[in-house]
Amino acid sequence: MANHAAHERDLFTVMCAVVCLVSLLFIGSAVAAIVLGGFEHLGEALTSAEVLFSLRMSLVTSTISSTICLLLALPTAYTLSHTNFPGKRAAEILMELTLSLPYILLGFALLLIFSSPMGKALKAAGFAVVFQPTGIVFAQLLVNLPFAIRMARTALEDVNPRMEFVARTLGASRWEVFRTVILPLCRNSLISTFVLTWARGMGEFGATLMLVGVTRMKTETLPGSIYLSISTGNYDTAMATAIIMLVVSACTLAIANILSRPSAQSRSIR
Amino acid sequence: MATSVSIENLHVERGSFCLEVESLKIEPGETFAILGRTGSGKTVLLESIAGAFPLHGRINHGTVKVGDKNIERVPLHERGMGVVYQEHALFPHMTVGENIAYGLKMHRVPRQEIVDKVDAMTELLGISHIANRRPGIISGGEAQRCALARALVLSPEILLLDEPFSALDPTTKTLMYETMDDIHQRFGMTIVFVTHDFVEAQRLADRVGIVLDGRLRCVVEARDLLDENAPHMAEPDIRKFLGM
Repeated sequence: MANHAAHERDLFTVMCAVVCLVSLLFIGSAVAAIVLGGFEHLGEALTSAEVLFSLRMSLVTSTISSTICLLLALPTAYTLSHTNFPGKRAAEILMELTLSLPYILLGFALLLIFSSPMGKALKAAGFAVVFQPTGIVFAQLLVNLPFAIRMARTALEDVNPRMEFVARTLGASRWEVFRTVILPLCRNSLISTFVLTWARGMGEFGATLMLVGVTRMKTETLPGSIYLSISTGNYDTAMATAIIMLVVSACTLAIANILSRPSAQSRSIR
Repeated sequence: MATSVSIENLHVERGSFCLEVESLKIEPGETFAILGRTGSGKTVLLESIAGAFPLHGRINHGTVKVGDKNIERVPLHERGMGVVYQEHALFPHMTVGENIAYGLKMHRVPRQEIVDKVDAMTELLGISHIANRRPGIISGGEAQRCALARALVLSPEILLLDEPFSALDPTTKTLMYETMDDIHQRFGMTIVFVTHDFVEAQRLADRVGIVLDGRLRCVVEARDLLDENAPHMAEPDIRKFLGM
């Protein structure tokens, strides 16, 4: 039956396939432009001290910011999905408001915060953010936190509430339900959240640019390195660096896809 | 050990649905069926007894007593109730044995005692052979037995069952009825179960409460449920519901 349906050809299916092909060509052309433009200089980029510095900077900052992101997103998502409190709707709107704002504006907001007397006091106490690598972590965190909260919340809400209720009647505290039932059931989704947050952190540019700028071998991330190369007319290196970003993105997306693949049981239900 | 359940002036709202129960007393050791159509409020009543909703708010209110004790402020795990849902709500990341052991672990029971109790319970319910399997690969009847074992292993005073047999085939259903008789005889707890099946209600229950459109309309002896001359048959909508 399913096979028969799969082999059926009708106008709707053909139209969808054509639109799918157009979309693939549109996206693929951008990727092809990067690969064709930079492949020749990839070896050069991979041995460049600047590119390697920016790769390391991106890897370190996005790993730190994604970890902090998940640590903040989980309790926030739990609160939003499992409790009711006055002003909850307003909190939900606030959490998601920044998703629609340009990242450059978020970076500017951070710049204003860390340039305020409080920010200056933090700097005097040894916690400098503006024009420092720490600022990259803050920029990635502000951009990615609402996204991570949304993903984590969806994962937590997918757990059958009756399962949680039964666990409570069996003697589990709320923390034990979270640790023994919710977390194991959401594990794959939460790993996917981490991986995708990490990938977004790797590609973050606008907010970082506003808060820390792009200083060679100091606050230079991979996107920053591409920006500097383009600014100086070094398009070949820019494209070669972009290939490195593409490979990193492809790897993270592959991991996220594997982890979010439904189990054999749930596939058979569909 | 069995205990009674008393409900007074219960009012529970779930979205646009509202459940009202003026008064209901379920006797110690009794098997009580909550009978009604789909969407009539049977499960909400069962979950109200279990403590799924706070009953001291502006919207939901009422009193649920176990024995003489008002349990509104009693934590869920201290209420002495076992809950089994129609869809079992087994933990899919644990084996059948681990599901049954879960409550014992949460109660900090010593490891060897957990092993002994889980072995005894799986044997009693005839599921020893699937103790190491995950819930995703066992049959509906086995999953139901597993959910029952998970609730029973803590020796609850009250067992709450939400349409426990509605998804089972007739043969498995009959076997489960026998299992229920056996469990009731052995443990002697108070059993409250939700059903929309008149035959099932008469087969298993001592008394039946009929819930229609969010109201507990009457409580009758199970043997009188379909008796044309019983007082509840004077109500046209109850007659209609019972197919008379």
